[in-house]
Amino acid sequence: MNKNESEAQSAAVFVYRLVFGREEPAIWLGHLDMMRTFERSLRRAKIPLAWSHGYNPRPQMVFALPISVGMAARADLLDVSCSEPIDPADFLRRINSNLPAGISVSECIAVEQSRDSLMSMVDQAEYLLEAENICMAAEVVLSGNEPMFTEKVRKGKTSSVDIRPLILEWKCHQQDSLYIRVLAGSSSNLRPDLLLKHFVDQGKIAQLSADDAAIIRLKLRLK
Amino acid sequence: MNTVNLPRHLLRQVSKPARYVGGEWNSVCKKLPDSPDGDVRPFVRFAFCFPDIYEIGMSNLALRILYDRLNKRNDIWCERVFYPAIDMVDKMRELELPLFALESKSPINDFDLVGFTLQYEMCYTTVLDMLDLGNIPQLTSERGENDPFVIAGGPVVYNIEPMADFFDIVLIGEGEELLPELIDCYQDWKLSGADRNEFLYKAAAIEGVYVPSLYNVSYKHDGTIEAVFPVDEAVPQRVLKRIELDLDKTDFPVDSIVPNMEIVHDRIFLELFRGCTRGCRFCQAGMIYRPVRERSADKLLEQAIEMEAKTGYDEIGMLSLSTSDYSQLGCLTDSLLEVMTPNHTSLSLPSLRLDSFNLGLMEKASRTRKGGLTFAPEAGSQRLRDVINKNIAEEDLLSAMKLAFAGGWSGAKLYFMLGLPTETLEDVAGIAELTAKIEQIHRELPREQRPRRLELTVSTAFFIPKPFTPFQWVPQMSQEKLHEHQRHLRSLIRSRNVKYQWHEFGTSWIEAVLARGDRRLGQVLRLVWSRGARLEAWDEHFDLERWLTAIEDCGLSIDFYTSRERKYEEILPWDHIDCGVNKEFLWQEYQRAQSGETTPACHEACMACGASCFGGGICYEQK
Ligand code: SF4
Repeated sequence: MNKNESEAQSAAVFVYRLVFGREEPAIWLGHLDMMRTFERSLRRAKIPLAWSHGYNPRPQMVFALPISVGMAARADLLDVSCSEPIDPADFLRRINSNLPAGISVSECIAVEQSRDSLMSMVDQAEYLLEAENICMAAEVVLSGNEPMFTEKVRKGKTSSVDIRPLILEWKCHQQDSLYIRVLAGSSSNLRPDLLLKHFVDQGKIAQLSADDAAIIRLKLRLK
Repeated sequence: MNTVNLPRHLLRQVSKPARYVGGEWNSVCKKLPDSPDGDVRPFVRFAFCFPDIYEIGMSNLALRILYDRLNKRNDIWCERVFYPAIDMVDKMRELELPLFALESKSPINDFDLVGFTLQYEMCYTTVLDMLDLGNIPQLTSERGENDPFVIAGGPVVYNIEPMADFFDIVLIGEGEELLPELIDCYQDWKLSGADRNEFLYKAAAIEGVYVPSLYNVSYKHDGTIEAVFPVDEAVPQRVLKRIELDLDKTDFPVDSIVPNMEIVHDRIFLELFRGCTRGCRFCQAGMIYRPVRERSADKLLEQAIEMEAKTGYDEIGMLSLSTSDYSQLGCLTDSLLEVMTPNHTSLSLPSLRLDSFNLGLMEKASRTRKGGLTFAPEAGSQRLRDVINKNIAEEDLLSAMKLAFAGGWSGAKLYFMLGLPTETLEDVAGIAELTAKIEQIHRELPREQRPRRLELTVSTAFFIPKPFTPFQWVPQMSQEKLHEHQRHLRSLIRSRNVKYQWHEFGTSWIEAVLARGDRRLGQVLRLVWSRGARLEAWDEHFDLERWLTAIEDCGLSIDFYTSRERKYEEILPWDHIDCGVNKEFLWQEYQRAQSGETTPACHEACMACGASCFGGGICYEQK
């Protein structure tokens, strides 16, 4: 076997897409914590992970979209590469009995290994924001069509961006519960806390209710 | 069950909220039993407190061992309590939230027993702040029938006198058997319905339990102790430490908690042995953990495999006072590597004594990159190393460095102490000379046999005389002289290849006061705490001025505790505690130190230190 063949062989991986959610207390983990936690859970579950090559091999896991501290999720996505095929139902059972409090996987689907990473396929996200009087704020702020400038700090520079074009749809459920669908992913992404900040800055909801808001990512839509 | 509700706005305002929410894999939640009826054993809630933040506390092995041990019993629920980071503490006070345990979120004053593990003296004010945050009266004398009993354990409790006013019960030695026995005693007491004091008497009868309030201390005019005596003849005169003799038979936590966030020592640990054979004269751990007791390599391998499977960790570390002395290190390392490598689990070896054998082990273990090498010669000259009984010869060190360079290491970190007994400027200069010799070795090696850039780090800490060491009688070097020694060293280290790191003096000074302190320091601690001291193990929260004024305000003198030479006849504040090693042996070692005479390690020859009284360990092995 020559070198190329051996590389091609070792590159044969089987990719499984996990649909997972997180709630209290796991919503307080950062993105890196989530990566570490999933890696250890997969190891405990004895999932045959495929490892990256090179100096410091790592398991190959790709999260669709990082999740921020304090945010819950109902159906985020994670691709896990395995070195051998595994029955998705078995995968699901094993991973679920090895996850810490507040994290669970609802689906496991075998997917084709694709050129595009899961990250680059993310297009939109749906959120539910729950805070006192948030719908009143939404009616006032979101109904108009003047630009919604929001300060963004990037590489130490502050710039002003109009976030209105990033909002695709919004719906009030009850007085305290707002559904929004926004652009998401690596090219344009609206973080719901920016929207909350906007509501506060416009004096539509109190800082405390914004800080106390429940932020739930309901779904990610892929291109 | 009362629980503390942590509002989202609070957790969003503090850094790393994962510290406060629990829910980690292998953490234990239990259901409280319905109201207990007459004769069942009372269910005991134990709050295991670590007086530092989550990342530090979760890295502590004692916490993991005892958490596992207690939670195996279904009549006990042991939970964890850490000191919140400063941003959180301030917010909790603002919102009037009490200190709570991570598992149930119950406030700590709801617990039966609140136990602290004390790893360093500088945590004392943090302990006081935790009691205050938890609404538990700080003074034992102020606690009532509804308050928990507050317990202490850990290495610094061998002289707990400065904290004697605050702890109801102190556990001397290893807690694996001792703590469950204390809890049995608590359950019996609870069933009996007797008063609070009765439990203290019952507890004091258990071997290894010290109840400070059952001892009175009287002082002479010069401030030294006249006598320490039990208040009652039912209370033992002296308290002998408890240890585990057969480590293979003691439980080890294989299903250890897996934190969700990164902690300081983020790996699973194997505890190879307890104690240290070497007998360095400055080292308290080397004395109080005597005698050396090993775990077998077979048992350790078994534990490693199980731990890896149950935690999912990808790194295993080894823990002990001087790992190179483990008798089966080579075969243990080989078998660990054999089992772990296919799982992509790495082995991180602690700093080993550098000889070709150990370097070989380290090369095998460093699958990816070379970890740093560390050495602890502790003193710069052979003369001073003989005084402190640190058995490292310069030639060995230099030849080890040569091997290390050839093996691809580009440098090392060297640890020294400043202010050792009999230390002169010449000894200090020896540190710089040693680094110069290492540089020379590097220069003289053929180009292809050495790393391109040499990186040496010299780190110094100030020597602090500790109880239960041969240096428990010596004066701490004066502040002026210590500064002079440090300045001298700084002026001598000039090479770009050598980095010099040092510790601040202030903390060492106060640590020296507390380490050999007596009960009168309790009022100082309270005063310092009331003036805002907390988390003082962190340099940024330590304030020397605050200590100096408090000591003065209490009418005490800092020199009495630090720079005074103690006489053999003097009754030391910790003399009623017995760690097995006897005072005569320590005194003899002190005399040998003064004449620069070294003492062999336990595995070479037994010096009859007294620790054979426990009836096991290295004292009874073939030499
Ligand atoms: S009795 Fe001897 S072998 Fe045992 S700890 Fe003391 S010196 Fe070492």
